[in-house]
Amino acid sequence: MRSSSYSVLPARSLGAVVVLALTAGFATLGPAAHSDTAPSVPAARTETAAVSAGAATPALAAKPYMGWSSWSMQSSKYPGLNPDGDYSYLTEANVLKQADAMAAKLKKYGYEYVNIDAGWWRDHAWKPGFDRYARQKADPARFPSGMKAVADRIHAKGLKAGIYLPAGLEKEAYNDGRSPILDADGCTTADIVHDDLRTTNGWDSAYKLDFSRPCTARYIDSQARLIADWGYDFLKLDGVGPGSGKNGDQYDNVADVAAWNRAIAATGRPIHLELSWSLDIGHAADWKRYSQGWRVDTDVECYCNTLVSWENSVDDRWDDTPAWTRHAGPGGWNDLDSLDVGNGEMDGLTKAERQSYATLWAIAKSPLYTGDDLTRLDSYGLSLLTNREVIALNQGDTPPARPVTASDPQQVWAAKNPDGTYTVALFNLADAPAAVTADWSTLGFTGAAAVRDLWNHENLGTHRNGITQALPAHGSRLFTVTPRGAALDWTAHEAESATNTLYGNASVADCPACSEGRKVGNLYLGGKLRFNDITATRAGTHWIKVAYVSGDARSVDVLANSGGPERHKFPATGDWGTVGTVSIPVTLRKGANTITFDSGTGYAPDIDRIDVPRS
Amino acid sequence: MATDPAARIDRRRLLALAATTGALAGLPAFTATAAPRRPDAGAESTGEPRHRLWWQAPADDRSMIEQGLPLGNGRLGALAGNDPGREVLLITDATMWTGGPNDSLDADGQFPYGRDDFGSFTLLSRLTVDLPDHDLSAVSGYRRTLDLDRGVVTTSYVRSGVTYRRRMFASHPDDVIVLHFTQSGGGRYTGTVTLAGTHGEDPAVSFGAAFPNGLRYGAAVTARGEGGRVAVDGPRISFAGCAELTVVVSGGTNYAPDASTGYRDPSLDPERLARAKVRAAAAHPAATLLRTHVADHRALFGQLDLSLGESTDEQRSLDTWERLKARSRDGVPDPELEAAYLQFGRYLMIAGSRGSLPLNLQGLWLDGNDPAWMGDYHTDINIQMNYWMADRAGLSACFDTLTDYCLAQLPSWTDLTRRLFNDPRNRYRNSSGGNAGWTLAISTNPHGGNGWWWHPAGNAWMCNTLWEHYEFTRSSSHLERIYPLLKGACEFWEARLLTTTLPGTTREVLIADSDWSPEHGPLDAKGITYAQELVWTLFGNYCVAAAELKRDSAYADTVAALRKKLHLPRVSPTTGWLEEWMSPDNLGETTHRHLSPLVGLFPGDRIRPDGSTPADVVAGATALLTARGTESFGWANAWRSLCWARLKNPEKAYQLIVNNLRPSTDGGNGTAFNLFDIYELGEGNGVFQIDANFGTPAAAIEMLLYSRPGHVELLPALPEAWAHSGFLTGAGARGGFVVDLHWQDGRPTRARIRSVGGRTTTVAYGGTTRTVRLTPGESVTLKDFTR
Repeated sequence: MRSSSYSVLPARSLGAVVVLALTAGFATLGPAAHSDTAPSVPAARTETAAVSAGAATPALAAKPYMGWSSWSMQSSKYPGLNPDGDYSYLTEANVLKQADAMAAKLKKYGYEYVNIDAGWWRDHAWKPGFDRYARQKADPARFPSGMKAVADRIHAKGLKAGIYLPAGLEKEAYNDGRSPILDADGCTTADIVHDDLRTTNGWDSAYKLDFSRPCTARYIDSQARLIADWGYDFLKLDGVGPGSGKNGDQYDNVADVAAWNRAIAATGRPIHLELSWSLDIGHAADWKRYSQGWRVDTDVECYCNTLVSWENSVDDRWDDTPAWTRHAGPGGWNDLDSLDVGNGEMDGLTKAERQSYATLWAIAKSPLYTGDDLTRLDSYGLSLLTNREVIALNQGDTPPARPVTASDPQQVWAAKNPDGTYTVALFNLADAPAAVTADWSTLGFTGAAAVRDLWNHENLGTHRNGITQALPAHGSRLFTVTPRGAALDWTAHEAESATNTLYGNASVADCPACSEGRKVGNLYLGGKLRFNDITATRAGTHWIKVAYVSGDARSVDVLANSGGPERHKFPATGDWGTVGTVSIPVTLRKGANTITFDSGTGYAPDIDRIDVPRS
Repeated sequence: MATDPAARIDRRRLLALAATTGALAGLPAFTATAAPRRPDAGAESTGEPRHRLWWQAPADDRSMIEQGLPLGNGRLGALAGNDPGREVLLITDATMWTGGPNDSLDADGQFPYGRDDFGSFTLLSRLTVDLPDHDLSAVSGYRRTLDLDRGVVTTSYVRSGVTYRRRMFASHPDDVIVLHFTQSGGGRYTGTVTLAGTHGEDPAVSFGAAFPNGLRYGAAVTARGEGGRVAVDGPRISFAGCAELTVVVSGGTNYAPDASTGYRDPSLDPERLARAKVRAAAAHPAATLLRTHVADHRALFGQLDLSLGESTDEQRSLDTWERLKARSRDGVPDPELEAAYLQFGRYLMIAGSRGSLPLNLQGLWLDGNDPAWMGDYHTDINIQMNYWMADRAGLSACFDTLTDYCLAQLPSWTDLTRRLFNDPRNRYRNSSGGNAGWTLAISTNPHGGNGWWWHPAGNAWMCNTLWEHYEFTRSSSHLERIYPLLKGACEFWEARLLTTTLPGTTREVLIADSDWSPEHGPLDAKGITYAQELVWTLFGNYCVAAAELKRDSAYADTVAALRKKLHLPRVSPTTGWLEEWMSPDNLGETTHRHLSPLVGLFPGDRIRPDGSTPADVVAGATALLTARGTESFGWANAWRSLCWARLKNPEKAYQLIVNNLRPSTDGGNGTAFNLFDIYELGEGNGVFQIDANFGTPAAAIEMLLYSRPGHVELLPALPEAWAHSGFLTGAGARGGFVVDLHWQDGRPTRARIRSVGGRTTTVAYGGTTRTVRLTPGESVTLKDFTR
């Protein structure tokens, strides 16, 4: 299923994609394409060149945006950040100070957005202010010069300005239904919500807008015009559902997002629309259609004495991102939230954690916006945020990486790049140092390959069969791997083959996306699938590729012959109709073997097929 | 700590006791020594790959006990983390103990068991070498290796095209730990060295302090660089631009194994001594220190060699941790790994048991100051198991620390027994009212103190362990040294045994007074099999000792008469098991970890499957062992394996070894990343207990070679996995022999028997038995064995 969002990109944007990619130094084959089953295989975009109009305005989200956001510091209890109460960091002075620092230190690396997050219309007691048209109004204490002046001053530094709004009509803006809607004759706030004043958004802080009523879209139009008039280039729409911890009709804000999309277009100003938070993947098509990015997860911030903490939710991203990978591409990206790696003490992370954090964001093609205090970046933080090789990976025409091994504590992510190289990231998510191996067979080739270490700007020479590196706790390595060997041949074994043995509830089921159209499911509570006729030409470890379907992340015990089980977690494929693949190691004997997938005491993914390398 | 003066040991009485036991004048372990003999530089072995354990990741600073690599010179130990950017050594001295004599009883007549009163083994210091440019994330090709043969830990990695290598070792001759940092490719070392205490002492290039118990301790570090600058920089040593760097650290305490001085050498200043030692060592090039160390280490390590067969190239290609995991997962024997595990146990013994205190529950290695069970001496299996391997594995020299310890403690143990054992609060007191000799508690410390519960039969087990060393070595000086221990234990039991008439008979027998069969079943049971078997063996050993030393013949007759009347366990008609409590009923847990009622099978010799023991007793022991199962943990599995080896069941014995080789993850039972044995104390909470690291190798050897004085049996329990071909050379045999054994296709191909004091023995394999007569130093090679 090809994403529909790209066909609605402004025509002028597509030419710009090519231009940007070229300036990043890549041999561009065309923008990374998006294929559901094989994101690592780029496909040509046939329609690309024909629609280029050569306009001056750059495309929205042709590549993941880069910048800064205020929320990490606002939400932190780090000493001194919020002297006037919670979230009080957000002021005109602080925003401009960060804009200055960005212009001085980061702009030349591609950072450009300065994004004002929640609270710009709220006083230090978090009491909101609205204009007579029920639109958010700058808090004079925080932004004495007003929002337009701030945007102007950001623009004056050659940067872009971002602003924030929550979904729905904020309760305090309702004003007993008496506030008029701008340029909407006779419409008041009473005419844009449901009669029962049902609430919506992730905090139930607003009344749900009723888009079946003609006045409602006008309200969104009036908000869009306001921020466009102020000169903002970016809007984060927050608390959007399904997502933001909510589901059901009351929290379905797809119509809000669609209205925003239209309203922004109507302003004539290119404004990047970013959606937040934990957006429902079941509505990925809607988010892709109407926005330029969507937060795939909860807040990365810890709301603690630092900006973030590894365990609070930085580490969740490794599990939560893979299902989204196929949805990312030019025009719309998976937003992993702020990249707070610039100051170890404030971030609350080890150096290894900061590098892993930056690595995942880079290879997942997440927007790269930091929430750090840009005036206090430490040297390591600056080196992470300004590594040109890593930034080029994020901003270039390479597709997003995804896990090529199981989501185990030691895991490997990779993407095949248009130039034939691979982006390969090694992660050790365990709490102790560990060796992590990227076996070339998990990338689909054998033999030798040249390895470039992107973080350390170092060629590591030629490595045969794979590379193993020691990683610190929560550590990572990021490589570009250039194959010098041969493509690997595989022998496919369908799960539904009659030569296999099913145990327990395990059963064959139809699966249109699966090879041969069928899979084995119901692998739960003792359900097992045994492949009986696996032949190996040598004894030893073989990385077999497992095609599977799993709406959520699930684990399964895998064992060869009568050996002991190894438990592997398979990342979610996002739904029960999408096939994913990961490679797992099994130790085979020379000759005939069995391989068993055993659900044990839990629920295992459905298995479509395994591919055993021929070597 | 209790400081009631009345409860203190009377020094004069201790002196008198010490004089009678001949245990005076033990030298402190940490002491000035003459300059070591230094071997000539020359062709140096780089060691064989089969003796190298290797890993592809450094230790987690927070999991050093599972991931740090152990170093030790027998007294001074360390766990090394080997992180490129921050080398951390957690340094110990075997005598670094809090606590004291602990010589007053609780309300229940037992001993207090806390870190202040009884005390605890604790860390001495923490050494850190920071190399800020060498973050693990910035280096490639990381590898660390423990070379068992040379006693060297090596870390190597590449940073910006330069190969960096650091070697570290704990030298017995120089009494220091050396870290030698080198590189090839034009690299330079810049960073800091920090030595810190772990009891509140601030970092300093040397420090000295004392515990409330009066034990003084101290440590010192020095560093030398080449091609750069090294300077003391406040509390640290900083270095910059060094092409090479040598760091030397030492430390210790003023502990002295001498009850008469309160286990202290008041004249010893540990900080000063440590400074002198590091200064003296650092005067030599690192290569010289290394050569001296390797020669010293190899002299011991090379005493035994073995092969259990060949592993595959695939197995050899895996690092040690992956290899352990593969062994467990794939269920395929990995004979070289299994042999290396045995050699690792030998490495630990050489590193942990020379010239100071014996190996405690954690040997010489700690990751904090609160080890489980205080890192103490547990006398109801653990300390004995620690030393079962020593003589069997060619490390008789490492056994002496146990003897030295018992002798140094004896005056205090005797005093505590005399004063406190018959305390009316003690449920285990002698109901006869008599009291003599000595015994100890389940836990003991190095200050002459007991901890936790009285353990009446513990004296017999300690004596029997010391006795076996005599059987292996035939060392008359050892026999003379341990004689007072044996005699005192006999005297204790002479006073303690009760006469009873077995139900339904008129036969009078002697049984042990109320006791607890470790750590299992009723708390007060008379005639527990554990005590009966141990005392039966003790009495027998004593009689032999008295005869060989030509002493106390009248008392030996008394003891022999007592022994004849000792009740020995029956087989329960109810369970079919050898009885544990003079009861036909199973009064405990069927799969309990302890095999206390089987001490007559192993380490004892009374129960033999060779026809000399009544068949029903062998069957009862076998049934009990079967019921205990094969799914316990570390030492419990090792003990089971030893018992199955004695019963000539190779596959069960082997399975238990394999069970102990299971990788420990998340604190589960099994073998950790660094091969330390982990016992799962609670869900996810694993603690290191070193006994299995020695007991498991002991079992492997016992499967290959059984011996008792006058009888040697080859390959009594050779499992299929090791049958194809192999050898075991330098293995001790009781009776005073050393055996070199080679086999092929499950049968011995040749066996060389060398006398180290023994004169005659039978050598058996299958149905063949030959008698060998040798004088000490002589050897004979036997061939042509048939089943």
